[in-house]
Amino acid sequence: MELYKFLPKTNCKKCGKPTCMAFALDLLQGKVKIDDCPPLLEPKYKKQYDTLKELLGAEEGQKKELKIDVDDDLCDGCGICVTVCPVNARYCPPTLSGKAPDYPPEKHQLFQVKGGKCELLNLEYCRRLEAQGRERECRVCETYCPRKAIKIDYV
Amino acid sequence: MKRIPCTGCSLLCDDIIVRSDGLFIDEVIGACLKGKERFDQLSSSNRILSPMIKKNGVLEKCSWEDALEKTSEIIKSSSKPLLYGFSNVSCEAQLKGIELAKVVDGFIDSNSSICQGKVLNIAKNTGITLTTITEIINKADLIVLWGANAAESIPRLLNKILFSRGKFRMTGREIRTLIIIDPVKVASFNVMGVRDIALQIQPNKDLELIRVLKEECCVADSISSEGVAGLDRDDLKRLILNLSEAENGVIFIGQGVLRPQSESNLVGELLELVQMINTKQEKGRISLIMMGGHFNMAGFDHVALSTCGKNGGLQFDKHQLIDTDDNIVSKIDNEDFGCSIIVGTDPISHLPLSLSQKLATKPIIVVDNKKSATTSIADIVLPSAITGIEVPGTAYRLDQVPIELKTILNPPSNIPSDEELLTKIIDKINKS
Repeated sequence: MELYKFLPKTNCKKCGKPTCMAFALDLLQGKVKIDDCPPLLEPKYKKQYDTLKELLGAEEGQKKELKIDVDDDLCDGCGICVTVCPVNARYCPPTLSGKAPDYPPEKHQLFQVKGGKCELLNLEYCRRLEAQGRERECRVCETYCPRKAIKIDYV
Repeated sequence: MKRIPCTGCSLLCDDIIVRSDGLFIDEVIGACLKGKERFDQLSSSNRILSPMIKKNGVLEKCSWEDALEKTSEIIKSSSKPLLYGFSNVSCEAQLKGIELAKVVDGFIDSNSSICQGKVLNIAKNTGITLTTITEIINKADLIVLWGANAAESIPRLLNKILFSRGKFRMTGREIRTLIIIDPVKVASFNVMGVRDIALQIQPNKDLELIRVLKEECCVADSISSEGVAGLDRDDLKRLILNLSEAENGVIFIGQGVLRPQSESNLVGELLELVQMINTKQEKGRISLIMMGGHFNMAGFDHVALSTCGKNGGLQFDKHQLIDTDDNIVSKIDNEDFGCSIIVGTDPISHLPLSLSQKLATKPIIVVDNKKSATTSIADIVLPSAITGIEVPGTAYRLDQVPIELKTILNPPSNIPSDEELLTKIIDKINKS
């Protein structure tokens, strides 16, 4: 919505999208660039163009690198992140007490509880990098951590 | 890779992977911080490795012979010994404990009598619907935490009951509704989703809430518009709707409900409420699970019930069980004991100051594997091996399911298991 405010809102379809709203959504997901909107390049939209550049700059300027931080001081190894992570769930074998991670860990596995603390094994298969569409916005590990020990960040 | 049960808390997670080289434990995978601490006790500086006797106010190391001699001396010289604890030992050791109480004409009680034993006592009259963790994982669609801080007391409980994907509930968290009734905004509130209901009740108002819910069960729309106990009317309506429409609901009752209450019969009223809901609803049922803390707290109730027909508070006289309503608190409060034998627990730090002061006036014999507040004031300290790591046994999970414990390492050469140690004491007393 924030981005949509600064678009021309004329629904001119010059960018190839049906509406300006659709363009704004794609802009948010990084599928299109600001320069793909021809009217924005006109002088009368100069101010809005600059604001948009500034808004997206933070995300577009550097190369996005996903980082999941697990705070060792807060974590108590409850293993909710291990169970709730959709990638883990896909590959973990079912046991009597729900799905439990295997050992040695499966190559897709993201989280593992070791020595009473959660540790991140690899990020390659995280949904935020692998999946398409809305699944890319996955934040379940961060949302459901009762200790608020997991932080998803871009650096 | 072998998975072994963890004895960190009453959940007894049976999916822990432990790698060991035969002398030490290298890695513990899957266990929470509580379980890891339990495995760490093996080589911790807190571990007691030789028997100790108090001389001139200081605990000094001594031989097993001297320690057992002194133990039987103290027990023989004092009438009415008090045996307490038994929640961190295997069922086999609990059986020996009851035998010891029979031999010395003592009173035996476990931590359960000030915790979940109350529920079982009241359930004798009203009846109780229980369920198991596996059942919850596979079928449950409603979880109620009533005065129970699951996220901080039993870390992996929420993981299992709320997030696990079971056989018939493939989606895990999404299908389950969580309701938390607690006066404090505890860590469990952090896992709340959109459909869940957080009820921050005013302290000590649980009874009002239960009575209103009971009334609503009989007559619909009987909740007054201002609500009750600081809770909203709409929230209460959603609560009763969830409870009466759940196919497999579970209420976890924790220390908030089990805590000592002088006048009100909170647990009894809660059991009645559950029964009322179960008779009213057609689709499914609501069950209860008591959240004990120690790993074999439920075990003592079962052992005592199967051997003596009574759960907790067993008084022996002339080697016969006699009827009594006493429990550990009333016994200590009336100073109705000559000496105390504490097995695998730490009453000095658990019980209120007034009671621990009275407990400390009489001789104390402690059987434990680690130093605690109780061992520091004890007259005799007898070390034992760690159950579930060094010695096998049976323990009851918090849902009353027996779990077989396994061994990973051998205990130190001079340290017997709880069961062997209690047998030695019984032999010593019988001989002398």
